[in-house]
Amino acid sequence: MIYPGLQDRMVKNMAKNNERSHKAQVVLERFEKKLNRQIVGSLVACVHCGNCTDCCHYVLANPGDTTFAPAYKADQIRKIFKRHFDWTGRVLPWWVKAKSVYTDEDLENLKDIVFGKCTNCRRCSINCPMGVDYATFNRMARGLLVSVGIMPEGVAVVSKDQWEIGNQMGVLKEDYIETLEWLSEELEMEMNDPEAVIPIDKEDVDIVYTINPREIKYDPRTISDAARIFYQARESWTMPSDGWDMTNFGLFSGDDDLGGAVAGRVYEATRKLRGKKLVMSECGHGYRSTRCEGPNWAKDDIDFEMESSVITMLDYVKSGRIKIDKSKNDSSYTFHDSCNNARSCGLFDEPRELLQLAVDDFREMYPNRAENYCCTGGGGAMSMSEYSARRLKSAKVKADQLKATGAKYVVTSCHNCVDGLTDVIKHYKLDMQVTQLVNLVANALVEERRGIPVPEIPVEVKPAVSLSGKKILVTDDEPDFLTFLTAVLEDNGASVLTASNGDEAIRLALAEKPDLITLDLSMPGKSGIETFEILRKDDDTTSIPVCIITGKPEMRRLIYERAVIPPEGYVDKPVDEEGILVNVRKTLELVHKK
Amino acid sequence: MDFQHFAEHRLQEIALLIMAIVYILRLRWLLKFKAGKERQPKTGLPGTTMKKGILYSWANIFMPWAMESTRARFFIYLQFAFFHVGVTLAILLSFLIPYAPGLLEISVLVIAFQIFIGLACVIGILRILRRISNKYMRAISTPDDYFSLILLTVWFFFATLSVPNNGGTIQLIYFLLTAFFLIYVPFSKISHYLYYPFTRYYFGKTMGYRGTYPLKHITPPQS
Ligand code: SF4
Ligand code: SF4
Ligand code: SF4
Repeated sequence: MIYPGLQDRMVKNMAKNNERSHKAQVVLERFEKKLNRQIVGSLVACVHCGNCTDCCHYVLANPGDTTFAPAYKADQIRKIFKRHFDWTGRVLPWWVKAKSVYTDEDLENLKDIVFGKCTNCRRCSINCPMGVDYATFNRMARGLLVSVGIMPEGVAVVSKDQWEIGNQMGVLKEDYIETLEWLSEELEMEMNDPEAVIPIDKEDVDIVYTINPREIKYDPRTISDAARIFYQARESWTMPSDGWDMTNFGLFSGDDDLGGAVAGRVYEATRKLRGKKLVMSECGHGYRSTRCEGPNWAKDDIDFEMESSVITMLDYVKSGRIKIDKSKNDSSYTFHDSCNNARSCGLFDEPRELLQLAVDDFREMYPNRAENYCCTGGGGAMSMSEYSARRLKSAKVKADQLKATGAKYVVTSCHNCVDGLTDVIKHYKLDMQVTQLVNLVANALVEERRGIPVPEIPVEVKPAVSLSGKKILVTDDEPDFLTFLTAVLEDNGASVLTASNGDEAIRLALAEKPDLITLDLSMPGKSGIETFEILRKDDDTTSIPVCIITGKPEMRRLIYERAVIPPEGYVDKPVDEEGILVNVRKTLELVHKK
Repeated sequence: MDFQHFAEHRLQEIALLIMAIVYILRLRWLLKFKAGKERQPKTGLPGTTMKKGILYSWANIFMPWAMESTRARFFIYLQFAFFHVGVTLAILLSFLIPYAPGLLEISVLVIAFQIFIGLACVIGILRILRRISNKYMRAISTPDDYFSLILLTVWFFFATLSVPNNGGTIQLIYFLLTAFFLIYVPFSKISHYLYYPFTRYYFGKTMGYRGTYPLKHITPPQS
């Protein structure tokens, strides 16, 4: 570490000699190219009135820390602009606090602000009397830093996956197809109808349905729920085998090239299949990126319709294409507005309308719609584990808001918010669960069984993998969860071994060779991540399928970064009985197929 | 006496000319940046349009209930409103004295001007105190912010005293300050009113096109 005084002197000398690190130089060169009239307007128009201060959840949860104030954060970008592009700042920099960047450390400090202290939720923007849209130029600053490789590690990993593999969770094409086939078979079996399928790459359809890779990896139920709804609505639809990920990390990283490339893949897939409409599953940033920003990044004038599945489902219900019985959703529900949907795409009335058609007890949270608070997991924050503590602290605002509703479920139309809210609920020990509209609508469906009742032509359906005779090792340091998991699995025929720490799990795995291991990630002593790596590297245990069950979604990235085969299954806590069984069966089924 | 006349007429005209030239240069500079476009079809409910968004955005400042930030701090909003009324009247005064002095013989008008500009001066003092005492305000303030606010508050003080158009040193100071103010404004944060129509236009355009503006009324909690 350099002595602070010396560091200051070095920076002053660099400033005097106009010397810069290579990265700082590149950032400045690219700064000008990123400017447009809206951004310049926002950079020059702030009057430092402080009106936006209390609008930011970071400020509210960190009283007294001025570095969280939106205008303060904005000024860290604005001062560079003033120093180089604004006349007063160029002539009298100290007068307007204009300052350039000289070192990589300056850029690192900026990174901490633009990635770690703002979720780009735009709440301050709608509260600025001058119309300063800080979130937009914060994204621009992110893009500048990303262009010189300065970004949180999680952002680098996810961006790389989206560039190289085509989706932000690195799901391989064969895993995607296999999961869809598995879900399709289940649906066919459930409906006893060979037409109850998930069509892949079907051409000339009315709807091309795209999803968030999280659904494939951690929440396949949302896909089967959507498929059931399409089936009941007799929709002509398909899912593309490429270009199926409508999420877009370019929105978070500020990288317009990535944004354009990713959105472009989805548009191309829709055109290739000659789909009439591109429908996006419930995901706030995915919807915003594909529906609202993508055409601009990709410079593509879209020639087909695009809509959120929320609107599709609402149309089905209102037009009578599907029937739902709201009494099936008999708990209490509130609605969290994803800020990308609400503030940036005006989608806040339709989800409420649908929710009120699907449940009896709906309780509005306050503030709501475009004034709702961010789930605090936005702007890619869920992938930036270095800022998790800060994120969870700032989530106090959301937690209080949720608690005040007294609802048992918070419904949201955003997969990112599902993860963010799940974390908030866990951290603040709220008696609440997160769900999405697709789950509620599917649950309330009044299903018309139109399967072909012809037993003489047996349909070849594979039964769901039975747990009977399966030996499952469950590992978790929470005794209550261990008991719950054991009971669920034993009730379904499995014989269960339990371990409350990593060492015990390794010992039992070697001695008992179970058919499946479930693993918690954060345990005292050897962590789940270390345990997983050891199990994978040991020849005797390497082929045992592992299903991660964790309450720390931010650690997800760490496990996929290990230089070993990734886990076969992954479940976020809190999880209910059905969730466990679906995922355990899926994990065993995938292995079975291999 | 000659200098007083020069300060009230020629000096103001020169200062106004300089301000106009600098403003034109500034606008040219702003307009040279390309405006970002929205290629996608619009989103939001059918009643929301780009045009409505722009109008709503411009009108926003006159609707303190429209934004949480002004709703929650109505007193600050009132300060803002009266401060800007004071600015308008103090500028108007610099035209009335040299070009329509007759109007300042109407005592009601003189009293009204003095009340409003005087109120703006008091608000200016409150604003200075807030900027100095509030930790968050200090963190976002620059020397220009302090100077501009002090300059305006002092200007209001001399303007209040100059309303009766009695001439003399106070009035001379008021006109010298006005001239300085006109030349300084384009280089300071006070020029925000030049940007205001642009920023609000573009923000309203985006938000209207996306269906967010006009904002929906939010029902406050029951109890
Ligand atoms: S409300 Fe707007 S003008 Fe006021 S400090 Fe915040 S960004 Fe600047
Ligand atoms: S965009 Fe959201 S998180 Fe960022 S400063 Fe504004 S209110 Fe805070
Ligand atoms: S995660 Fe949801 S609430 Fe949070 S920023 Fe994204 S869309 Fe907004």
